[in-house]
Amino acid sequence: MPWDISRRVFLRGAGLAALGIGFHPSSLLVRTAEAASAGNKVLVMVFLRGGADGLNLCVPYGDPDYYGLHGQIALPRPNQSGGVANLDGFFGLHPDLTPLKSLFDDGRLALLHAVGNYDLSRSHFDAQDFMETGTPGIRGTSTGWLDRTIALVPGHNVAQAVSFSTQLTRSFLGPQPVLVAQDLATFDLRARGWKPEASTLLQSMYGSRADAIGQVGRDTFSAISILTQSPAVLAPPANGALYPNAVVGSSLRQAAQIIKAGLGTRCIFVNVTGSFDTHANQLEGNTRDYRSLGPALTAFATDLGGLLDDVVLLVATEFGRTAHVNGSAGTDHGSAHCMMVMGGRVRGGKVYGRWPGLSSSQLYQERDLAVTTDFRDAFQEMARAQFGITDSLFPGYTPGPGPGIVG
Amino acid sequence: MSVSLDDLGPRAAIFLLNRLAFGPRPGEAQRILDRGLQAYVEEQLAPAADPELDTRLSHLPTLNYPISQVLALYNADQRTTGVILDEFASAKAIRMVHAQNQLQEVLVDFWFNHFNVYIADDFTRQSSPAYERDAIRPHVLGRFRDLLGATAQHPAMLFFLDNYLSTAPRVVGGRLTGLNENYGRELLELHTVGVDAGYTQQDVINSARCFTGWGIDSLRTSGSFVYRGQAHDTAAKSVFGLNLPAGGGRDDGEKLLDYLSTHPATAHHVSSRLVQRLVADDPPVALVARCADTFLHTSGDLAATVKTIVSSAEFWGEAFGPGKPKTPLEFVASALRAADAQVSHGRGVGGVLTNMGMPLYGAVPPTGYTNRGVDWINPSSQLARMNFALDLAAGAVPGVAVDARAVVRSTAGSPEDPRSAANSISADLFGRSLSPDTLNAASRVAPGGTVSVAARVLGLCLASPEMQAR
Repeated sequence: MPWDISRRVFLRGAGLAALGIGFHPSSLLVRTAEAASAGNKVLVMVFLRGGADGLNLCVPYGDPDYYGLHGQIALPRPNQSGGVANLDGFFGLHPDLTPLKSLFDDGRLALLHAVGNYDLSRSHFDAQDFMETGTPGIRGTSTGWLDRTIALVPGHNVAQAVSFSTQLTRSFLGPQPVLVAQDLATFDLRARGWKPEASTLLQSMYGSRADAIGQVGRDTFSAISILTQSPAVLAPPANGALYPNAVVGSSLRQAAQIIKAGLGTRCIFVNVTGSFDTHANQLEGNTRDYRSLGPALTAFATDLGGLLDDVVLLVATEFGRTAHVNGSAGTDHGSAHCMMVMGGRVRGGKVYGRWPGLSSSQLYQERDLAVTTDFRDAFQEMARAQFGITDSLFPGYTPGPGPGIVG
Repeated sequence: MSVSLDDLGPRAAIFLLNRLAFGPRPGEAQRILDRGLQAYVEEQLAPAADPELDTRLSHLPTLNYPISQVLALYNADQRTTGVILDEFASAKAIRMVHAQNQLQEVLVDFWFNHFNVYIADDFTRQSSPAYERDAIRPHVLGRFRDLLGATAQHPAMLFFLDNYLSTAPRVVGGRLTGLNENYGRELLELHTVGVDAGYTQQDVINSARCFTGWGIDSLRTSGSFVYRGQAHDTAAKSVFGLNLPAGGGRDDGEKLLDYLSTHPATAHHVSSRLVQRLVADDPPVALVARCADTFLHTSGDLAATVKTIVSSAEFWGEAFGPGKPKTPLEFVASALRAADAQVSHGRGVGGVLTNMGMPLYGAVPPTGYTNRGVDWINPSSQLARMNFALDLAAGAVPGVAVDARAVVRSTAGSPEDPRSAANSISADLFGRSLSPDTLNAASRVAPGGTVSVAARVLGLCLASPEMQAR
């Protein structure tokens, strides 16, 4: 079985390599600069792995059933000790996400509640797969939704898609180039005492192989060229932005760096692992995670300043959790969840989505918050707003009008 | 076996060492050829004592501590957990590189990952070494039911998937306690029948109900399994075709494990995962079916199931293909073995694996790490692999001693002659499969320099495209 050559990285950069110019950084930088001038909108997807409880992220404290259902893990009403940050008299943000309140108040943050997947899977793996490919109920789809998005964005740019993750995320699966990175600052060959020789010899090993491993080797050296030749990629945070010392902080700091460097990046994926799968002791897990997520998002907005007008950032997770607290001060796998959308041109300051209610008959299978917005409608709206994409990004599905958060 | 292994020559020996072991050490392919590949496979399926390994592990005393002793140390000084985890990681690195029973180590890695617990989840810090030692290692070439049962009642698993908190719904001291679905779901989805088997949400709930009362005696002192009858849901249950009458106790869980361990969907799921690890990212359907047959007809004999794989045409066909991309763990372990490394501790190796996105025992979700090699191919990981290979050959990985000149000499090459060194490494460690581009590049290493010729040639061979697949 040949390796899946669709999982390419820096494909177009490597295409230049095949013409014999790919390892010459200046030619790549010229292409980069051309692409950057063709447009500057960026779509960022932050993915919370594990299934974050939407009912304790954006808390429906005004719903008559919330406190009965969530019991010992229900968050207090606004203005009570440890209470939620009031958003609109009905919903409130998790207290550890209070730093986001000012973004909400000045219209740069919106929430979308009761969003999800009508073709439900309560398996982490399936639910993540279905969301990232955008094909609920269908396993093995060969492309991710962001790969299909980037395919429709004009320009030939080696840094157009960046994934801050340890593996190629399913969202970017497919033929489009992706730079998977954890730390841009150390993205270089070490080879102490013989780096130029090692670099030359390794490139000649990988230079003409036709298979995926040859491709990834060439992509790696292309990426080294780009990143080591672009000092702006390593610029410190601007406007006094302070990122928390956590993976989500360093990923969003680097996302801002690569946006500010103007390398023509269009889609960024930020992978967040944490304690979101809160089967037990949910309050502690959420506090730990949100104390880094909230400040990381606000630092990102501060850091970008006016550039935030070009950015739409989406925070998603694979599913919500049970409306009932379980026997262990936690919640089990559920259905609808809550997305956050941030950006300079977002119609923020509002919680979007039709609220389905939490009474027994309103819950899905009498256990979960029901889905009232298909996640694909929201995804399509973001891609439409940023890149003018009107054709459906989702095979076999015609997206609805969307919640109207952006665009 | 239907294939005569001994006719296939050095290429087959290298292939076997890349699949049943963590890769060839210098001279090892010839040694197992001399003994006979058939004999090698049989030895690997029935592990013998390994006193040399025992000696290497003897400076890691906490490996043998019961959980209660680990907890006592922790209670006296919380920093001791760092020592416990260090020794656990060191043992992993030492075993992968130095164990004679390589297949056992490959399978311990596979089954730990199949029944994954994440090591940094509070109590799992204290219980993961015992989990591998007591629940996984003794059973990887034994019976699946024993393995399944051992994981089900191990405190590390009971904690990681929250079953120790799961009880029949009731009010205690004014607070509602009750069912936790986590283990009941993953038992079906990951450990046994698989997500496609067709079970329902009600099956998940009823599966969890079977294990109510399976708990941990004390998270702070004994850390041992306990069954609490008063927490058990004694009402009748039906799980995926198994009906359990009312009035059951601890047996409800055991009966469900009996039922699931012999279910055809489990045979298929487990076989598919094993074939994906040992044969190909996309498991050949016919081989999975034959494996599942063996599994069912031998009541889950895992050695027999592996033997079916190793005896198959599909397995040996892979010896002549492009190979299966290595995961970071497989790459690092195979490079250490190829460099004839002497590993004394695991911190350097562990750090490298963290940079490659595959920290030792660090898979957070119950799903574990993907066994598909191709999922691990990306520039970030590729760069980390090349840097590790070059560091390793230059002797710059902490806790790891490498003598590149000795490696070249042991493969019958000349350490100061790059072409001779590259050719001998290619013959001994790659079955002459290094490409002309790789050989030419390694042969062009310049004389002199601060890093020896042998270290640079070895480093380049270990960083080569051919080293990325097994």
